[in-house]
Amino acid sequence: MKPQIDPTLPEAQARREFLKQLSAAGLAAMMTGEVSVFGAEGKLQHPKATADTCILLWMGGGMAAPDTFDPKRYVPFAPGTPVAKVESTFPTIDTVVDNIKITQGLENIAKVMDRATLIRSHIQPDLGSILHSRHQYHWHTGYVPPQTVACPHIGAWMSKVLGPRNPVVPAFINIGQRLEGVGEQEELKAFTTAGFFGTEFGPMVIPFPEDAAQSVRPPKGMEPGRFDNRYSLYRKLIDKNPHRDYLSDYQQASMLRSMDNAHRLLSSPSAKAFDITQEPIENIRKYYPGYEPGVRFEASRDRFAGTYEAGTIGKFGLGCLLARRLTEAGARFIEVSTEYIPFFNWDTHENGYSRLVAMKEAIDAPIAQLVRDLEERGLLNRTLIVVASEFSRDMIMEGKPGSNANDQAGFKVDTITEMKHYGQHRHFTGGSSVLLFGGGVKKGHVHGATATERPFVALGEPVSIMDLHATIFTAMGISPKTAYDIEGRPFYATEDGHGKAVRDVFA
Amino acid sequence: MKSLIVAVSFVFGALVTSAAQVDFSHQIVPILREHCAECHTGDKKKGGLSINTKADLMAGSENGAVIELRKSDKSRFIEVLVTKDEDSRMPPKGPRLSPEKILLLKAWIDGGAQWDEGFAFKKPAYEPALKPRRVELPKVVKGRTNAVDRILDAYLAKNKLKTPEPITDAEFARRVHLDLVGLLPQPEALEKFLADKGKDKRQRLVQELLDNDVAYAEHWLTFWNDLLRNDYIGTGFITGGRKQITKWLYTALTENKPYDQFVRELIAPPTPASAGFSEGIKWRGSVNASQTTEIQFAQSVGQSLLGINLKCASCHDSFIDRWKLDEAYGMAAIIAEQPLEINRCDKPIGKTAKAAWLFPELGQIDADKPAKERLQQLAALMTHPENGRVTRTIVNRFWQRLMGRGIVHPVDAMQSEPWNSDLLDYLAVHLSDNKYDLKKTLELICNSQAYQSKAQVLEPGADDHAYVYGGPRTKRMTAEQFTDAVWQLTGSAPAKFDAGVVRGKAELNAATKVDLKGQWVWSTDNKGTNVAKAGEAIALRHKFTLKSLPVRAGAAISVDNSYTLSVNGKELAADEDWMTVEPVDLLGGLKAGANEILLVAKNAGNGPNLAGAFFEGRLQFADGAEQVIGTDTTWEWTKTLPDAKGKFATAPKDWQAAVVVATAEVWMKSLREPIVATLNQTVYSTLPMVRASLVKSDMLQRTLGRPNRDQIVTTRPSDLSTLEALDLNNGQTLADLLAKGAGKLVKDGSSTEALVQRVYVYALSRPPTKNELSVTREVLGPKPTEQGVQDLLWALVMMPEFQLVR
Repeated sequence: MKPQIDPTLPEAQARREFLKQLSAAGLAAMMTGEVSVFGAEGKLQHPKATADTCILLWMGGGMAAPDTFDPKRYVPFAPGTPVAKVESTFPTIDTVVDNIKITQGLENIAKVMDRATLIRSHIQPDLGSILHSRHQYHWHTGYVPPQTVACPHIGAWMSKVLGPRNPVVPAFINIGQRLEGVGEQEELKAFTTAGFFGTEFGPMVIPFPEDAAQSVRPPKGMEPGRFDNRYSLYRKLIDKNPHRDYLSDYQQASMLRSMDNAHRLLSSPSAKAFDITQEPIENIRKYYPGYEPGVRFEASRDRFAGTYEAGTIGKFGLGCLLARRLTEAGARFIEVSTEYIPFFNWDTHENGYSRLVAMKEAIDAPIAQLVRDLEERGLLNRTLIVVASEFSRDMIMEGKPGSNANDQAGFKVDTITEMKHYGQHRHFTGGSSVLLFGGGVKKGHVHGATATERPFVALGEPVSIMDLHATIFTAMGISPKTAYDIEGRPFYATEDGHGKAVRDVFA
Repeated sequence: MKSLIVAVSFVFGALVTSAAQVDFSHQIVPILREHCAECHTGDKKKGGLSINTKADLMAGSENGAVIELRKSDKSRFIEVLVTKDEDSRMPPKGPRLSPEKILLLKAWIDGGAQWDEGFAFKKPAYEPALKPRRVELPKVVKGRTNAVDRILDAYLAKNKLKTPEPITDAEFARRVHLDLVGLLPQPEALEKFLADKGKDKRQRLVQELLDNDVAYAEHWLTFWNDLLRNDYIGTGFITGGRKQITKWLYTALTENKPYDQFVRELIAPPTPASAGFSEGIKWRGSVNASQTTEIQFAQSVGQSLLGINLKCASCHDSFIDRWKLDEAYGMAAIIAEQPLEINRCDKPIGKTAKAAWLFPELGQIDADKPAKERLQQLAALMTHPENGRVTRTIVNRFWQRLMGRGIVHPVDAMQSEPWNSDLLDYLAVHLSDNKYDLKKTLELICNSQAYQSKAQVLEPGADDHAYVYGGPRTKRMTAEQFTDAVWQLTGSAPAKFDAGVVRGKAELNAATKVDLKGQWVWSTDNKGTNVAKAGEAIALRHKFTLKSLPVRAGAAISVDNSYTLSVNGKELAADEDWMTVEPVDLLGGLKAGANEILLVAKNAGNGPNLAGAFFEGRLQFADGAEQVIGTDTTWEWTKTLPDAKGKFATAPKDWQAAVVVATAEVWMKSLREPIVATLNQTVYSTLPMVRASLVKSDMLQRTLGRPNRDQIVTTRPSDLSTLEALDLNNGQTLADLLAKGAGKLVKDGSSTEALVQRVYVYALSRPPTKNELSVTREVLGPKPTEQGVQDLLWALVMMPEFQLVR
């Protein structure tokens, strides 16, 4: 079975029907004073959506723009080179768009650059001290922590305002980031949530894409027959329950409805979308050439010379493949993370160059393939892909010009003597790159630039997190001024409703 | 949305004009509100004068104009403020306005009586009284003597409402168990209760549950952790910017600390153990001005203890209630060690906050005193006998926990009108009358017929117009209650837990008699004199070898005056109160092989005074052997002190034998019994099942709504969401628990019927009906299989009847 979305589906209607039948949110309001739209809903004008699905490809840990999408002066590794002389550790390469150059290792993405808008002037506030997860909280919710209320993730906003596209596919799916057993896990959990919207709008968390099928399957060791029998036992016992008085009780009714929905999803054909093994093996290998059926990553990792980053190759690829399948099945918002693990992956405090060789291999083919696959299926026009990171990196500058942030490079040397010194080892918040595809954005377009000399700060047209969010929300048909009432005050999709979409990126 | 925009621009408008002249909204409005509003705003128009709008003010009173613009000398408005004529003076009673305020009002009139456009005094729809109010109880109806019933019966009669139907004994038992101790009634206990013919058996059950200090504490820990945002893991801990209050809280609950003292210790911590609440969460790097730890203090005290939302006012004058930016900052300044600059919407306004609290009518903070004293003043004001807000806030929360909906709703908005102010006021005064014993409040409510009646059947839209009381409302089990219940049913509670506490309670008249071996020791310095210098600090150590790890190891410790205890470099206990004994779980620090206990002890006082340290640990081994380790002359001391992490910069070379303090009886006469009780708690007591409230949140608990406690949470979601249901359908944690439980049940070898009987009674406090029995028999067959039982358990715990407390 190949799940398909009919692009002509009247979404608003489907959503209303779905919410009416599925969600108890409206009814719950009377118990807990649940969030409601602030002010008169009718007065808020949502923009016309140019995308129905949003895929966020998250480069957690700080993806260095000068080594990826914003090349600067390349200085090859050579012992004795002053650190300050190096701007990029990868040579510049051409893309299919004449005036857009990126860096070596991204050759596949270079070939689909004619479908992309590249923002080179994304900026972040300097929070005085770089704690990745704090910047990630800001990026994912639009609010700098701490906050007095638990802020919803941008995906939860989509889920809350737009609802699911397909009633049996969760609206917000988070792929590739573990929340247990990794550093800063509590900080990660703090924003990987629907916050005050409540779990109905929260993420379905899939840490390992190859295990996604498990999350919509009966528990391990339970055959489908037994699973169905268990549910029918449950239904029978509900039917025979002697407490007839409570049949009409809304809380009871809502609980039964949620149980039914869950069971429906678990038995639905759409659940197959979660199972990447349903995909022909040659397709899987386009995302992850080293794929072997049934071989798990822990086992296969040895093949990558034991470095952590090498293990990300494949895992992220399968995440992208899963995102494609879920887009087809009708997910609303999907995040695929290269996974943030302190001091690994994009978080290069040392050995930046060598580690980025692997990271670029991890993302290059899958991102390009995702773009092509969606295009081939006629879905790219209505799917917004966002490739982003919490900030950029630099060889010598921590924070941004004038910052007091502690230098956190692993080796504080002025002259490169070893390979481990060669790379972008400092956190830079003055200018980073964001790549957009599909969903109504311009094709083969560059927005903004960074300085040609260090510091590589964004010049003109800077795009803040707030405005980037406004842009994403606008593409999805959500007004950046959308607000919900929490504790009697408005809480906005973008801070104070001030986010302004970057008009220049829209076709 | 439009009204909000107007309000925003109003605030900024006021800001712009403030530099040059009198600031109407910040300087004049508060004076008018405080001294004139009661008689001259809203519907009130005493003497014909209303000051609702500028036009009203200019229209004057029965006696004509009260304001002559730019001529304060000729304005009657000012004249009545200063006149000595008792008949015409304003305000007519009470103290006169201060000269500063009168000067401000004059300057304002002389400047043309600027009035911000669109501003009008509006009487708040409702403003709760601050003082407690003693309610006269209505007559007893139909023998229902409980005060709650007397008030509610009058309410029902007045509103011509039906009295809710009573519940059965079994329903009561399940509800009251889950509400008071968070557990399902054990089938045996339930059977005994049902068989009991005593008329007062429900009362006795309530008492019995409340007397179960440990079960009570480990259930209510969840409520308090949510309310005081305390947790064992969470944001902020990673950078050391957050402290737990778990130990303090756990003891406060097992000992049922009176609520006034509880509040005082949270606000003005006598020891660091309760400081985490007031100190808040400190993030590394810069934070928004409205989220500094000082402002967090204002917000937390406001929300948790007063039911006041100061979050709006932390940024700007609130649009939704009466609280102002200055007032939020005033609260924040109480704890601020440094001058606190006021920021409006994250921008400094050039003013320094003055420490002040929210209800000056009870007294005010002395802003010139140091922070520690200011906090003590605040603690005293919060628990002032005339402060009814603190008691109303907590009894309302308790009512909401037991009855499903607050008397004031939502529970954090205590400025809202209660649906029954007699009930709220009665409960609040009842709490203070009972020496702030929170268990008395629970007891009163649980013994009422109101509590013991059927849960309301709610249909959508039930509260669309206004809340009408119709009995208790159904509550969803908390994640902790659900987890505990599943652990009970399956006998699969974990052996370990994460809350860093010594479980149980030190009970005087302890079961096991202990012959204490430890002695009070100190340095040689006080030999003969028995006194040590004020502030003298020493490090005591003891080295010993263990062949194997003990299975249980606990200790009791007490030091005059304060200490930090570490075992093998790991800090296990610290205290600053010389009058108390602390329990220590040694298992977290001991290892097989060489061990070292390090005790850094400090004396206090102003001159030489008695000092001593007592430690006694008891280690029990698998083979039944016991080893006692107590302070005595085999311990050594040095003046060299380790750093904060317990490490010596250079190893001291002057270790000397400790000396037994001759005056030990000074301490022992009051501490001997507590020490024995503490050893009973840490070593000899049998502990009940580990509770979900004591473990870190896991996938299952998160699924069931246990929050990240980065923010204060006072109401958890009442509904099961689809994603949660999905997790309950196929989550591994629950599946594993049920499999384990099923295995045990099947091993018992009982018949299907007996097994179904037992799990039904345990899970639902009722036997299965014939119909239910026949369904289960059909599925399980006569001889149940593990899989069959596992599926039955799953179906049972998924039933609304199980997951809802009604």
